[in-house]
Amino acid sequence: MTTKPILEIKNYSKTYGEGKRAADNVSLTVMSGDIYGFIGHNGAGKSTTIRAIVGVLDFTEGEILIDGHSVKDDPMECKRITAYIPDNPDLYENLTGIQYLNFIADVFEISAKDREERIKKYADIFEITESLGDLIGSYSHGMKQKLAIISALIHEPKLIVMDEPFVGLDPKAAFLLKGIMHDMCENGAAIFFSTHVLDVAEKLCNKVAIIKKGRIIASGTMEELTEGHSLEETFLESEGD
Amino acid sequence: MKSKNLLLLKNLLLSTSQINKYRHCKDKKKKSKIIGGFVGMIILYLMIMAYCIATCVGYGEYELIEAAPGMCAMVISILAFIFTFFKTNGYLFNFKEYDMLMSLPFKTRTVAACKFLYMYVNSLPWYLSISLSMMIGYGIYAKPAMYIYPLWIILALFLPVIPMLISAFIGFLIAKVSAGFKKKNLIQTVLTMIFVLFCFFIRFFMEDMFRNNKVQATLEEMSATTDNAGKIYLPISWFTNAVTKTGILDILLLCGISILLFAVVFYIVGGSYRSINSKLKSHAAAKNYKMTKQKKTGILHAIVFKEWKRMTGSTLYMTNGAMGMVFALILGGAALVLGPDKIEELIVKAIPAGSSLVQPAIPLAVYFFVGMFSSPACSPSLEGKNYWIVQSLPIHKKTLYQGKMLFNMYLTVPFMEFGIIALCIGTRTPIIDTILYLILGFVLCAFSTAWGCVCGVKHMKLDWENEIEVIKQGTGVMIYLLPNMFVSMILIVVVVFLGMVIEHSLLTALLILIYGLLAFLSYKKVMKISK
Repeated sequence: MTTKPILEIKNYSKTYGEGKRAADNVSLTVMSGDIYGFIGHNGAGKSTTIRAIVGVLDFTEGEILIDGHSVKDDPMECKRITAYIPDNPDLYENLTGIQYLNFIADVFEISAKDREERIKKYADIFEITESLGDLIGSYSHGMKQKLAIISALIHEPKLIVMDEPFVGLDPKAAFLLKGIMHDMCENGAAIFFSTHVLDVAEKLCNKVAIIKKGRIIASGTMEELTEGHSLEETFLESEGD
Repeated sequence: MKSKNLLLLKNLLLSTSQINKYRHCKDKKKKSKIIGGFVGMIILYLMIMAYCIATCVGYGEYELIEAAPGMCAMVISILAFIFTFFKTNGYLFNFKEYDMLMSLPFKTRTVAACKFLYMYVNSLPWYLSISLSMMIGYGIYAKPAMYIYPLWIILALFLPVIPMLISAFIGFLIAKVSAGFKKKNLIQTVLTMIFVLFCFFIRFFMEDMFRNNKVQATLEEMSATTDNAGKIYLPISWFTNAVTKTGILDILLLCGISILLFAVVFYIVGGSYRSINSKLKSHAAAKNYKMTKQKKTGILHAIVFKEWKRMTGSTLYMTNGAMGMVFALILGGAALVLGPDKIEELIVKAIPAGSSLVQPAIPLAVYFFVGMFSSPACSPSLEGKNYWIVQSLPIHKKTLYQGKMLFNMYLTVPFMEFGIIALCIGTRTPIIDTILYLILGFVLCAFSTAWGCVCGVKHMKLDWENEIEVIKQGTGVMIYLLPNMFVSMILIVVVVFLGMVIEHSLLTALLILIYGLLAFLSYKKVMKISK
């Protein structure tokens, strides 16, 4: 399988009021087939970067390209091929699970047959099929997270961007999600996700970037970065610098 | 206990305070928006105050100034009652931060009472703007003793308390009844609407009752209305006697009963506050869904469906959004039930002319109700914390707004057209005119939708804690509602007069043209903003 860049972040910076830089000259490339981990402590700039990639946050400096399309200049094309799963998904609580999934499927113009197949497949995997007729307001945090994941997978995106995807998931769901992530990447998609759980990142990712105070302080393949050490040791060492 | 009350109240006020937001906000754009909001509010306060002073001038010129305190008390009591009723669900019950507050070491009664006090403090500036300006007007003409002014100010603080408590208690009863049902939202919405309609008809009943006193002049009639209201609702006469006769007993009664009622109401409400909120916040999960055939819909209709579910999922949104439609339905229904002869008789009784005189005002009269609310004036803000969904989806902003506008058209047009058809039948309007009125009705709905969307998008506020902040108090809703209502009222009168000199069909065609142009310009503005 030939690989190509799916996500390219070039010199991206985000400045908030009074000149505070939440992201400072961030550059990285995620290739198709990559499971790219984005790690850093709280407030390091992970969510700011992620929210800019998925078009939720405006930015003025730098460039973000998704499959060659600029997030700034061609946001619609970028969104069509991207899926985003936030860390704490606030979903439409007045819709039932199935209504929400149909809403997302309608937006991505997925045929009735395809959506039916995919919803059934993923809802069965995450064991929430029976709850799809209930209001999202009645869901637990984990169930909302599962629904957000299904809604992200429903249009078979080329890039999935996830902010702390394993928070709130039960061990079985977390295991299943890891399997789905692998399958998607084998089929040519790319995954970019932030996490605090370094063990997960070490086992799951082929590439990692460490962000500190808005700057990428280390990035590359897992082997290049860790050089025989554990990711935890590498992370703590780089944090101490 | 006292300090905990104050602490909680202070924090509730701080959490929604625009001043606090302004102080800590770093974004210049947001800061200027806050200032803009303040300026708008001040203009609104000044308008209210000017209106109140003008009313007092009217009373003064006709030597009826003694009726001003009663009128002041009546207006504040009615407003406090209505506003509180619509706010109770959302402020007192089913509010977002309920879990957080209840997990803190506060007594249930403290939480309930503080939420009420929060509602009181927030609405106090409105009531004070009325009472203080009427005090000025009263002062100019009645020239009371100096001590009346501080007394008026102190009593003005107590004046809204009793109607607010009564209204909150009715809201509590509705919440308590609804909490027992599976479809809580639906029951709560229906009960709220029934109560509002009940109040509306009671008002007519009372007006009719007062009219039987055969009071002639309008001002005298209003003064008599106030007197009669004071006999039914005692706090009005307590306030009037306190400031006109310095009745010590009346002062003590107004202050004492307000405090006592507060204690009693929150003793009762506090008793079942936790259980009501728990039931209102819990959702029944059937967990019995079986995968069925799914259907593909277009993006616009997917947004319309989402908007529909958003509205029906919220009692507050539903009661505010649908009340005008219900009134239009009742108006149309009444016209059909009464029939042309009875309507003709009623019109002739009110104005010395046949029903043909009022025909050109039919679309505007129905629009007065239907146009009371435009869902796009608040729905962009209602996205709130869900905004990430539409932001991260491949939906153009213009498509999103078109969906929101289409939803409002679906919501308003059927009621508008029904009201017009029914009134046209009731007034024996010629076919050609009826068709033109129907077209005007549609155009009015389009204008209301597009203009509402301009207001809603321009004044989008996503960081709200309670949906009341955007449905009832949002800048977008205010800017949409007030001018729209005033213009409609004025136009109803103007059109009736113009109808006497211009051909009805020509007049209607002219209105279609004007409102059509306004709707088009508003729509273009929405499309421009969405870029």
